[in-house]
Amino acid sequence: MEYIITIDIGTTKVKASAFDLTNNLLGTRQGSYPTFHPQPDFSEQDPEQIFLTVLYALKGLFNDVLSKKYRPVAIVFSASMHSVLPIDKHGVPLRNAVIWADNRGRDEAMLLKNSNLGAAIYEQTGTPIHPMSPLIKIRWFGTNTSPSWLEKIYKFVSIKEYIIYQLTGQLVVDYSLASSTGLFNIHQLNWEPSALDFARIKSHQLSEPVSIDFDDLKLKKEYIRLFRLPPTIKVIVGASDGCLATLGAGVVTEGDATITIGSSGAVRVAGKQVLVDEKQRFFNYILTEGTYISGGPTNNGGVVFEWFVQQFGASGINTDMEYAINQLLMQAERVPAGARGLLFLPYLLGERAPLWNANARGAYIGVNITHERTHFIRATVEGIIYEVYSIGKLLQQYRSIQNLYINGVYATLPLFAQILSDVFGKTVYINDKHDSASAGAALLASTKLGRYENLEEASRTIKSVKTYSPNDSNHQQYGQLSEIFDRLSYKLAEDFDDLVALQG
Amino acid sequence: MNKPAYSLVPFSDFLHLKELVRLKNQTVRLNDWPIEVKGGIYILCILEGKYEWIIEQKRYVLYPNDVVALCPWQQLGSPTNTLEIGSFAWLKLEVEVFEPSGELRLGAWSAIQENDQKLMGRLMVSHAPMVLNQLKQVNDLLTKIEQELKQAEFAYQTRVNQLLDELLVIIVRQQSQQQNQRRDFPKAFEQLEKMLRDNLDYPWTVEEMATVVGLGSTAFTEKVKAYSGFSPLNYLINIRIAEAMRQLRQTEKSLTDIALDTGFYSSQHFSTTFKKLTGYTPGHYRKRQTGDSS
Repeated sequence: MEYIITIDIGTTKVKASAFDLTNNLLGTRQGSYPTFHPQPDFSEQDPEQIFLTVLYALKGLFNDVLSKKYRPVAIVFSASMHSVLPIDKHGVPLRNAVIWADNRGRDEAMLLKNSNLGAAIYEQTGTPIHPMSPLIKIRWFGTNTSPSWLEKIYKFVSIKEYIIYQLTGQLVVDYSLASSTGLFNIHQLNWEPSALDFARIKSHQLSEPVSIDFDDLKLKKEYIRLFRLPPTIKVIVGASDGCLATLGAGVVTEGDATITIGSSGAVRVAGKQVLVDEKQRFFNYILTEGTYISGGPTNNGGVVFEWFVQQFGASGINTDMEYAINQLLMQAERVPAGARGLLFLPYLLGERAPLWNANARGAYIGVNITHERTHFIRATVEGIIYEVYSIGKLLQQYRSIQNLYINGVYATLPLFAQILSDVFGKTVYINDKHDSASAGAALLASTKLGRYENLEEASRTIKSVKTYSPNDSNHQQYGQLSEIFDRLSYKLAEDFDDLVALQG
Repeated sequence: MNKPAYSLVPFSDFLHLKELVRLKNQTVRLNDWPIEVKGGIYILCILEGKYEWIIEQKRYVLYPNDVVALCPWQQLGSPTNTLEIGSFAWLKLEVEVFEPSGELRLGAWSAIQENDQKLMGRLMVSHAPMVLNQLKQVNDLLTKIEQELKQAEFAYQTRVNQLLDELLVIIVRQQSQQQNQRRDFPKAFEQLEKMLRDNLDYPWTVEEMATVVGLGSTAFTEKVKAYSGFSPLNYLINIRIAEAMRQLRQTEKSLTDIALDTGFYSSQHFSTTFKKLTGYTPGHYRKRQTGDSS
């Protein structure tokens, strides 16, 4: 049997998976790596450790999961967006990679955001002006590091480009990942001069942009030998995890949306046109030529619920997280929808879409003397979902959404799924492929191998295995609460600023 | 300095036991409790009252049965130099070696195994300052040690040393468990990972890593595997090789030096592991990276 290997390089771990040519998952191996915070605003990762973890996951996959009789025919890559790694002319990293969560470019972002130049760059590149964006990070390097160090930089690459470089010796970046750098013109598919000027670099300091199905890549013979691979194995560059997760959820045309709630979250739609929002609240990334994935990301997904569990969950030496989470969710289930008017703003980590306010903070509002611990649990879950809904509502001003496909560890928990359905007032679907990014990568590879005419046809092979239907009276009630939620989120902005100043 | 209510001296039989003091303070005393380096392994237990002290530049509020354990170079005292009303007890141990790197040798009196002593040193340094809440056993042990010293019955020297060992073991275990109590394995793992990185050349065993996190080795191995995808030792090897890759490319150090720095006992062992994981020998990897400029 022939199969495809997908490598998904995420924020905390790499996942190597194998799919047969009809996109059935054969197995997965993963390995994690840490994020370092040498300063509070900094978030960095060691590119060598990530590379080794890729090799480790692959080795585990070949040795433990797959029969020797199977034959790998293609390797394809998916990866988190927005990372920046400066390398010298020998391809040696000059420091750790700076990842999306890094906020060191706060001032640079602020400066650009409120300017005409910022608006123009956003329109051309599709990436919101925000410290997450490589555009901002590279500008930061330019102003905050020594000229002699800057001179050593040959190129700025992403973690994925570095991993592919290690494996093949070739430096390329796919249109999809390039479109999340804030430096790439998503209409013309080349590096955008005005953005390059702002970052103070030249286009030759970035990799050559290629289509997501680009496969003129060759594994180094050492890796062919190490993994005993057929020398003819295809290496396909792939795309970003967000875009591939949308494809892997079966959404590549207008009318549908995906909701992801993992530790962070996002609502995404696909279409032939970019969404133009003058307040710059959406991203527009490229899945492939002519298809854009648009939407909004939230910082405050499952990570907020985990915070709640750690602070207020059952204590005891041997209670593990998963058990504690399930305990709390069971208690929340018994509380009526709306938590009897107790409202939670989940902005513990500041917020991106739709507020784009790094100073936003969390709050429980409307507490009365009859509220119990269990109401707080339910309110916490509902607050996380109102935030996702506020992104969804905004998207619906531009696109009609019929079907909602949900994925991510938290969104697919039964209580989360039901509340999502009730809040949106729509049926939500859970697909057979839990790991949508890897599934999307596999679809891309099998299309390239000629199995399908195009990605749209490939995406139709994704099947839903579970649905949740909305309860009308709950939907009514959530509608009222979510309006108050939206109002408060904006109304409190000034007070958030003052509180943040005190929090230091 | 303050006059202790009573103090048990001389400890002529116990050169390592420098102080054992129980202090009951009935009036507020100004200028009597400045922030200062205490020296030795210093273990203090609050008995009555409430104290707001600065320990290693951080402010702590301590209540009865809270315990502080300090390394020889660490500081403790009141920000206003004032000693408030209340009582507490402490003992001070002079140890053979205790370095800020975590290297610890208690001395011949202790029956704690050499490796465990080293681990204890590392834990005390990486979790500094150790402030443990509600650890009642410490006061009980201090009382027992006092009694042994006072009564000087048959083999009391042996008993005192055993009790001192027990005291240290309890403190280290409590520190690890306090970690685990927070139910936050990712956080505990992050701290362990940092400790591993800071001591890459140390020959870590799974048991030692498990102690740092406050779990038994079986549960620890399972949790690490579920959380990271690696077995504990594979995870350690992974960080070692990642660091070796960095050094190979960014420094001029010899292969043997890199091998020893990253915890391999020989350059042969290093080469084999490196090749198995990366497909390259270390020498070949270094050449490849500085040779071709694609």
